Amino acid sequence: MNGEVIVPIRVDADVLVARQKARELAKSLKFSSSELTLIATAISEVARNIVTYAKEGEIVLHLVSKGGRRGIRVVAHDDGPGIADVARAMEDGFSTSSSLGLGLPGSKRLMDDFDIVSALGKGTTVTMTKWER
Amino acid sequence: MRASILKLGNVLIASVQGSMSDADLAQMRDELVLDVRRYRATGVIVDVTLLDVMDSFAARTLRGIAQMIKLLGATAVIVGIQPEVAFSMVQLGLTLEGINTALDLEEGLALLKVPGIGAHER
Amino acid sequence: MVQHDNAVERNDGENFQEHNEISEQELAHRKQFLELGDEDIARLSGINDLARRYAADVIDDFYRHLMSFEDTRSFFSDPQVLQRVKNMQKEYFLRLTEGNYDLGYVQDRLRIGAIHERIRLPIKSYLGMYNFYLRAVATRLSEAFHAKPAEAWSSFLSLLKLTFLDMGLAIETYIASSERTIRAQQEAIQELPTPVLPFREGLLIVPIIGIIDSQRARQLTEQLLNSIRGNRAKMVVIDITGVQSVDSRVANHIVQTVEAARLMGARVIIAGISPEVAQTMVTLGIDLGRIMTVGDLQSGIERAEQLLGYVVTRSRSTELAAG
Repeated sequence: MNGEVIVPIRVDADVLVARQKARELAKSLKFSSSELTLIATAISEVARNIVTYAKEGEIVLHLVSKGGRRGIRVVAHDDGPGIADVARAMEDGFSTSSSLGLGLPGSKRLMDDFDIVSALGKGTTVTMTKWER
Repeated sequence: MRASILKLGNVLIASVQGSMSDADLAQMRDELVLDVRRYRATGVIVDVTLLDVMDSFAARTLRGIAQMIKLLGATAVIVGIQPEVAFSMVQLGLTLEGINTALDLEEGLALLKVPGIGAHER
Repeated sequence: MVQHDNAVERNDGENFQEHNEISEQELAHRKQFLELGDEDIARLSGINDLARRYAADVIDDFYRHLMSFEDTRSFFSDPQVLQRVKNMQKEYFLRLTEGNYDLGYVQDRLRIGAIHERIRLPIKSYLGMYNFYLRAVATRLSEAFHAKPAEAWSSFLSLLKLTFLDMGLAIETYIASSERTIRAQQEAIQELPTPVLPFREGLLIVPIIGIIDSQRARQLTEQLLNSIRGNRAKMVVIDITGVQSVDSRVANHIVQTVEAARLMGARVIIAGISPEVAQTMVTLGIDLGRIMTVGDLQSGIERAEQLLGYVVTRSRSTELAAG
């Protein structure tokens, strides 16, 4: 599966672009409108983190498939300051906003697969996937 | 894209467009604040029916708007949050706690008329 | 009406073994329990020649016996099926005295049990077959060994042990099938959409039954939120009387649903918290915060109506009383 879409993220208007492109790409799959909203929201969160903390980065969208199921994969990458304590950033107070205000636990809940690689001074890469039901 | 703000008696109605940028949202907030004072509005309805995604930034902005309106002596009601948006907001932990919400414009206006919720007429 | 379709050909034995994991260990354990040892195996192999001689007769007798009863006759009304099972039974019969009772043997037995279960032969009839065999074999053994009754007797006891091993497997096949059916039914229940019932104008009732897993909770919340919009509901009563258990996961789903409903201007009352559930929640430290809760559905409805401004009165004379 190809169809990679790369969205450079620098200003908040780019957040909107990333969401729109994701919706377009995901439309070719069997997602409900509710699921599309979840995807767009998760992208909004990670894209915003890039704008706020890293100043610039990119979001790459792919269509993927595994075991007969198709999905959309979002890779949000930046070479910004990185997160010192990833575990803490992923801590979840369930109904409360995440401890570091990065919306990461929430994004994880919105998507199916979620992975984050980050270290102080080493940038951040968030990979999230949503699969067709 | 500018927000449209309408006046209906003592109530201001601001409709958020789907593709409003952060700057647009900030501008709407500033305009609302001015208008509340100018028209001595007692209620403000922020209609987000057309908002397709409510992320933490949007939620923070709305909260800020509600708080400012309250400081100015008026009551804010957020209306029109769509089912999918409500669902994803809750997943992100964005509950808009302490902020009045209603289904739509009609319900929002009704809510403003309830004693104790709508600010007293000046 | 019994179905004699390709079920007979399906290889259920393998699936069964996978699911029930009769391992080498388990098999060894069972043999130990039945005291089925090497001498028994030797004795059984010893009567293999004898078995070959009377196998066809025993099978014919056996099926004649079955066909003389109305309830069992119906399972073998198709001559093709009858011939197939007769051949299978002959092999089965001979296998009893072949001396190799390993996992392959087990698999074979399970497969045959599954086939009989598939055609819905009652377990009592299936066990009845063993009864017939044992007696048929006992008779022939005593004839063949009339000069050495002790040997006939020990061979018979060995056969008895092996037969009990087989019966255990057969019964398990039947049980496994029941369990599969129950599981499938439970899944089907889970698949049923939860009804969201418009009760009065502005009031929705959501009765939840069964287990709430994450997927169902999600579906429920989506459905409810859509109904709030569609029905312009301001109050929702979620009845959890039928929910099997409320742990912190379920509580979190409930909290999220309530919060999402509030964003759409609807308030939620959780009804049906039984004393037991209340106890569990307190023990687990689950706090629903400011969410309104009541003990039963009726209270929930009354509360909701009150908050919506309904006043429900009962007139003095009713149609019923007037007769």
